[in-house]
Amino acid sequence: MTIRTFRLSGPLGSLAKRLSGLMAVLFGVSFITFTMTYFAPGDKAAAIAHARYPETQSFPPEILEGIREEFSLNEPFLVQFFQWLSRFVQGDFGNSFASNVPVWDVFAANITETLTLTAVSLVIGLAAAFCLSAVSVWRPGSLADRLAVALASIGAAMPNYWLGLLLILLFAAHLNWLPAYGTGTPAHIVLPAVTLAFWITASQTRLLRAFFLEAKSAPYIETLRLRGVSESEIFWRHVMRHAAVPALTMIGLDVAALLEGTVIVELTFARGGVGSLLAGAVLSRDYPMILFLVMFFALVYVLINSLIEIIQDALDPKASLLGAAGPAVGKEARL
Amino acid sequence: MTVAESSVLAEQVDLKQRLQNRSLKRFITGVCAVLVVLGALVCAGFFLTPYAPNTPDFLNRLSPPSVAHWFGTDQLGRDVATRLLYGGLWSVGLALLITVFGAIAGTIIGLAAGHFGRVADATLMRVTDSFFAFPELIAAITIAGVLGPSTANMVLALILVGWMRFARLARGLSVDIAHRDFVTQAKLNGLPSRLILWRHILPNIGPSLLVLWTNSWSRTILSISGLSFLGFGVQPPNAEWGAMLLDGKAYMQTAPHLMIFPGLAILVSVLAINLTGDRLRDLLGSGSAT
Repeated sequence: MTIRTFRLSGPLGSLAKRLSGLMAVLFGVSFITFTMTYFAPGDKAAAIAHARYPETQSFPPEILEGIREEFSLNEPFLVQFFQWLSRFVQGDFGNSFASNVPVWDVFAANITETLTLTAVSLVIGLAAAFCLSAVSVWRPGSLADRLAVALASIGAAMPNYWLGLLLILLFAAHLNWLPAYGTGTPAHIVLPAVTLAFWITASQTRLLRAFFLEAKSAPYIETLRLRGVSESEIFWRHVMRHAAVPALTMIGLDVAALLEGTVIVELTFARGGVGSLLAGAVLSRDYPMILFLVMFFALVYVLINSLIEIIQDALDPKASLLGAAGPAVGKEARL
Repeated sequence: MTVAESSVLAEQVDLKQRLQNRSLKRFITGVCAVLVVLGALVCAGFFLTPYAPNTPDFLNRLSPPSVAHWFGTDQLGRDVATRLLYGGLWSVGLALLITVFGAIAGTIIGLAAGHFGRVADATLMRVTDSFFAFPELIAAITIAGVLGPSTANMVLALILVGWMRFARLARGLSVDIAHRDFVTQAKLNGLPSRLILWRHILPNIGPSLLVLWTNSWSRTILSISGLSFLGFGVQPPNAEWGAMLLDGKAYMQTAPHLMIFPGLAILVSVLAINLTGDRLRDLLGSGSAT
């Protein structure tokens, strides 16, 4: 009962509740991530030794034992977990097994590629989605509307690695307009960005169309129409504003799918970036790198979702009832 | 009318309305008919194809689509059409198994969280939230890669990342329904909670779970093919659609049919399942979108 009397209420209370929930989730995330690498097959001491002395083939047991001592690999699971967690929280992410340089340095060298790709595709994808959905709600049921809906359905079902290959086939192999693989010139980003943007357009057109339609049929819009306000003014001044808030939050909630898409596109086009880094680290069992990258993806995802929920709370108290299921409720909402 | 009678009536009306919906019945009949025809065609294909999926034929390498080889042959002379047929078993069939497993596990966890006390609820939902925090494909790549790329590890990875949405939905909807009159009535009559869950709550949340399941199925097809394409899933020479794409990538310019048909197969099957799911959701009018 004592706990109940201390329960906070109001907006600050809900914020505190969210933050405590967030901490629990972050702890769970780190526990799962660490467990995953802890129970992975293979001798970690040997992996570290190979990274340190790349020219040596086999190692005497004394050296491996020394490495186990140094990295506390002989400690019980929970001790290792909390040691890793406390270092991680302090910003010490360790050295990459593969290159023996700090994980953070490798990450920092690669993140700009990923951010550029994501930003460019988001701009293209959202602009296209906006135009398509605006055209489609202009005359619901018209040919343009049906085309937009069909495009959105196909885009949601389109495997983006296949779309990437098709674009390479057409624009790089046959027409020879654009480079297919790699990074470097601005031309290199066109095909990957279009591939990723296609998916963003497909998923957002559908949502924006629904929001615009809902906004268009709101009673006060009817009133405006009866008062003789022109359709274009209604759309630009009123429908847009009405649909903006739900649309913005929905766009943010697709972050998980966006991260996944970025990873696949980077690998399809053999670009540098965090996704390629993850695939390389996973295949070479570079555990410090894997731990860091998985934590990075999970943190980005969780933090953006929590941020959106807090914004939602602030904008619309009723929405908090729906959002109370925790972070990432948008995955359901997207269905 | 007593509360008991009216609540029983309300439940019956609820379920009846859904089941007696004529367009829903027509739709389900239609889907079943299509499935039967499709199944018959696939079986006929298995029996009638003169080729084996993994036997090379070096005299017929990279031949374009023809009467003998409808979709051409690949770099080892294997018939692409036959491989697509077998690949469907991997992509679509494996996805079906994975999602059924995930749906059952997730539903049980969600129902347990919603109905077996606050401690169970808090613990299970925090665990669900934590698993939810990993973008699915990234977690699957990591798990499958760290354990060693193979079909079994990919299946394990996809099961591990696939159950949370069912747990969320099952918990959310069932807690909602548990406050309805007919559940209260069943509780007052002394029905054990397991029976209440089985007889009253599960049938009412079933349609929403079904809709979520179709969505989850198509996403899993994309994940399986994606993981195989990236080398983390089904390994060559097995004829999985994503693995076939990976094989065909190197011959993109000389034999584009090698990458066009597998991709088309993925697109069409995912699109078909998505559209079926959408229609089902509209007809059931289930609340999974809210």
